[in-house]
Amino acid sequence: MTQNDFLHLMPLLILTFAALIIMLVIAAWRNHKIIYAITAISFVAAFLSLYELQDVQAYAIAPLFVIDGFAVFYIGLILLASLLISMLSYAYFEQREEQKEEYYILLILSSLGACTLVISTHFASLFLGLEVLSVALYTLIAYLRSRERSDEAGIKYLILAAFSSAFLLFGMALVYFSTGTMTFSGIAAAMAGFQELPLLLLTGFGLMIIGIGFKLSVVPFHMWTPDVYEGAPAPVSAFIATVSKGGVLGLLIRFFMEVDGFRYPVLMLIFTIVAIASMFAGNLLALMQQNVKRILAYSSISHLGYLLVAFLAGNQMGVEAVTFYLVAYFITTVGAFGVVAMLSDKERDAELMDDYRGLLWRRPWTATVFTAMLLSLAGIPLTAGFVGKFYILAAGVNTQLWLLVVMLVLNSVIGLYYYIKIIAVMFQQTEAGQEPLQKLRPSILFASVGTLSLLVLLLVGIGVYPTALVSLISSMLETFHPVALR
Amino acid sequence: MELTFYIAAAVAILSTIMVITRYNMIHALLYLVVSFMSVSVVFFTLGAPFMAALEIIIYAGAIVVLIIFVIMMLNMTKEDIQREKEWLKPSVWVGPAMLSAILLAELVHILTTSNPAQTEALVAVDAKLVGLALFGPYLLGVQLCGILLMAGIVGAYHLGRQKKKVIHRFLQERSAAA
Repeated sequence: MTQNDFLHLMPLLILTFAALIIMLVIAAWRNHKIIYAITAISFVAAFLSLYELQDVQAYAIAPLFVIDGFAVFYIGLILLASLLISMLSYAYFEQREEQKEEYYILLILSSLGACTLVISTHFASLFLGLEVLSVALYTLIAYLRSRERSDEAGIKYLILAAFSSAFLLFGMALVYFSTGTMTFSGIAAAMAGFQELPLLLLTGFGLMIIGIGFKLSVVPFHMWTPDVYEGAPAPVSAFIATVSKGGVLGLLIRFFMEVDGFRYPVLMLIFTIVAIASMFAGNLLALMQQNVKRILAYSSISHLGYLLVAFLAGNQMGVEAVTFYLVAYFITTVGAFGVVAMLSDKERDAELMDDYRGLLWRRPWTATVFTAMLLSLAGIPLTAGFVGKFYILAAGVNTQLWLLVVMLVLNSVIGLYYYIKIIAVMFQQTEAGQEPLQKLRPSILFASVGTLSLLVLLLVGIGVYPTALVSLISSMLETFHPVALR
Repeated sequence: MELTFYIAAAVAILSTIMVITRYNMIHALLYLVVSFMSVSVVFFTLGAPFMAALEIIIYAGAIVVLIIFVIMMLNMTKEDIQREKEWLKPSVWVGPAMLSAILLAELVHILTTSNPAQTEALVAVDAKLVGLALFGPYLLGVQLCGILLMAGIVGAYHLGRQKKKVIHRFLQERSAAA
C-alpha cells in the first residue's frame, strides 16, 4: 500500500482504529459517556477526512476498491446516518441496564462494512463488506438480551442472512465460472463479448439477486423485516433500515452501471417484478398493522420498491434520483425511529398505537417531529420525501417506464392511508394533560432532542430548497466512472 | 483425472444430502466430515493441493471437533452416554466409512498414476502462490477478514456473557452501591 492508498482509505481507517481504541478503553475503564464520545468523534473525524477527497478522480486500489465521487458521497451519507444513530442510541441506552459499551464497537464495525460495500469493485471485497455488516448486525439486533423478542429477531436474522450469503456465494461462483474474473470491470468486458448471455451466467445473476434482495428486504425476500424491526432496539432498526440498505443499494448501482445490466431484458424484467411486488406488498401489509415499528418496516419495503423504479431508469438521472431519494429516506427513517426510541421506556419500546394516542396533547414537540417525518414518508409537499418522489417520477417518465410510474403513483396513495392513520391517532383528544417535561441530563437532551431537531431542519430544508442537494449530487456523480463513460 | 473429480463431487453431494437428512446429530457430523474430505479431493483434482490440505486441517479437523465438543457439552447425562453406546453400531459408521473409502481409493489412484503431461495444463496453486496473492493484491481483504472476526468475537462476548453471580450478601450490597 502506498501513501496515497492510505489517504484515500482514510475514513475507513479511522473507523477501524476507533473500534480498536474503544475495545482497549472498555478493557481499561467501562464508561458509557466516554465510549460514546469516542464514537461520535471518530464518525465526525471520518466524515471530515472526506473533505480531502471531495474532488477525487476515480482512484482505484486494484483489484478490490475504487474511490470516486459516488463512493465519497455514499460514504459521507453512511457516516452521517451512523453518527445520528449513535447519538440517538446514547439517549436510548443510557436508561437500559445492560452493558452498553460493546454496542458502539459493533455500530462502528457495521458502518465500516457498509462503507466497504460502496467502494467495492471485486466480489471478494463485496462479500467481506457484506459479512462485516451482517455479522455486526446479528449482535446489534439481539443486543438487549433481557427483552423477550430480541433473541428471536437475532436468530431469525442470523439464519436468513447466512442463507442468503450462501446464495450470493453460489451466484458469484457461477458468474466467475462463466466470465473467468471476479472484478466488476472484468465481468463487464466478458459480458460485452457475449452475443447472448449464457444460461449459467444468468443463473449466477439470479442467485446473486436473491442474496442482494434479502439485504434490501424487497419482496419476495422480505419476510424477516417486520419481525427483526420489531425485536431489535429502535436505533438498531433505524440502522438496518438506512445504513445497511443504503450500502447494499450503492453496491448494486455500481455493479449494474459497470456491467450495464440495463441492456438485458431478462434482468430488467426481474427487477421490474421485484419493484412492483415490493411497492404493493409493503403498502398493503402495512394497512393491517397496529404496531408502529412493523408499519415502519413495511413502509421501508415499499420505499425500496420506489427506489428500484429510479434504479431501473438506468441513466445518470436515475442514479441521481436514487441518491436524492436515499438522502430523504435516510433523514425521515432515522427521524421516525428516533421518535420511537425517545418515547421508549425501560421495559419496552413504544411500538403500539396506544403509545401514540393523544401524543400531540401530551408531548407536542415530539408529536410535531413525528408528524413531519410521517408526512415526508408519505410524500407530502414541502418535505424532502416529496421532492425525492418527484425526482423518481421524473426519472421514470424520462425513460418511459410507464407501468412502474403508474404503480408508484397508485402506491403513494395507498401509503398515505396508514401514515395519516398514525397522525390521526396522535391528534386524538385524551383526558391526560400535557406531561411535564422530563428532567434529562444536558448530554442526553442534546443527543436526542438536538438530533431530532437537526433532522427536522434538514427535512424541511431539503423540501423547500432542494437545489443545493441536487447540485451537490450531480457534481459528485461526475467522477462516477460508469456514468462518465456514457 | 476427470473421472476422479466427478466421483469426488458425487460423493460430496451424496454425503451432504445425508448430513441434512439425518435425525441424529452425530451421524450427521460423520457425514459432514466425509463431505469436507470429498471437497478436499475436489480441490486436489483441480490443482490446489494447499487448499485441499487446509480443507482437511481446518474444516474436517478443527471445526468438526469444535461442533462435537459443543454437542458433548450440551448433553452429558448418564442416559445420553448409554444412548451413545447404542448409537455406535456398525450400521452407523459403515455408510460414512464406505464413502471415505471411495475417496481414499481415488486419492491413491491419483497419486500412483499422476500423469505429468496432464498436470502441466493446470497451474498447481501451492502455498507460495496463495501467500503471494493474500499478501499482495488482496492484503486489504485479509485485513477486512480480521475486522470480520473482531465483530464476531465482540458479538459473541456480549451475547454469551453471563450475569455476575453475587456470592455473599456483603458483596451484593457493595455491587448494588457501585
